[in-house]
Amino acid sequence: MLASQSVLHETALQTVVGSQSYIHPKHGKWSRVLAADLLLTALIDAFSILVIFLLMSFSSTGDMLFIGKGQELPKASLAESLERNPVVKLQDGKIYLEEKEVGVEALVESFLALRKQFKETHPGAEYPGILMIQGDRRLKYEELNQVILAASHAGFSDIRFAVLMK
Amino acid sequence: MRKHKKHLDFEINLIPCIDLLSVCICFLLLTAVWLNIGSMNVKQAVGGQSQAETPKKPLMWVFMADDGQLTFNVQQSSLIPAALTNLKIAGLDGHANVGELSRILAQLTSKDPGLKTALIQPRAKTSYEDIIALMDEFKKLGLTDLGVAPL
Repeated sequence: MLASQSVLHETALQTVVGSQSYIHPKHGKWSRVLAADLLLTALIDAFSILVIFLLMSFSSTGDMLFIGKGQELPKASLAESLERNPVVKLQDGKIYLEEKEVGVEALVESFLALRKQFKETHPGAEYPGILMIQGDRRLKYEELNQVILAASHAGFSDIRFAVLMK
Repeated sequence: MRKHKKHLDFEINLIPCIDLLSVCICFLLLTAVWLNIGSMNVKQAVGGQSQAETPKKPLMWVFMADDGQLTFNVQQSSLIPAALTNLKIAGLDGHANVGELSRILAQLTSKDPGLKTALIQPRAKTSYEDIIALMDEFKKLGLTDLGVAPL
């Protein structure tokens, strides 16, 4: 008796799948539903939780760096959040400044051009001199050194290494 | 005559809700960034003030060897005893011995809490990963002003 009057029993019998409505019945008499049922309330609950979780974990900073295939960033636990700065990428023995390939000998020139461009677009503002370096964790320091040296020559005093947060 | 009872309740059409949520989930899954990327900040000394003008702050040089050995040289600190100003930590499997490093760094910072600057001098063959691991360890122990010396 109790089982037949419970909410579960009613939900199972009157579903959209079964084209039945409890509030606006199409037939005067309840017919037996043979179609499979879906508990839509539970489904919407699960969907809502999923949407909330994805919205909470949504990060807009990830698109600042494009990690190439086979590239693994070093890991660090005490890293600061990313900010939009000129990015130098070291990959497969090549150097890319803002996704454009640059030779080692032209690095200082390219950095100075960035500086000049900033001064033209921001008259009167002091150049922050921040550079982001993105390299594979297995990279040797001799490869990194040429970028650091060029950055120092061009007056970039603040160097940031892209890392994966532990 | 049969009386029809007026229904005051109403039904919510769940199908558009499910559609909307499904589209939302698809969009969020496609645009989600699963890698949490951060940055390790390093201040490189470039030009600026002359040495005479800059205040003398405790400073530590760390030399990295190819086999993971670390050599410390603490300068401009009157609080750290002479026995601790030049130290060596042997490497462990070709990398820095992090356990020993934290022990020594904790000892140095307890003697001189003003020790905040560390300059790292890697070798040509030192891996980038080892440099970042070392910097991370320094940051954990309160050495916030880090620098990497060019070759």
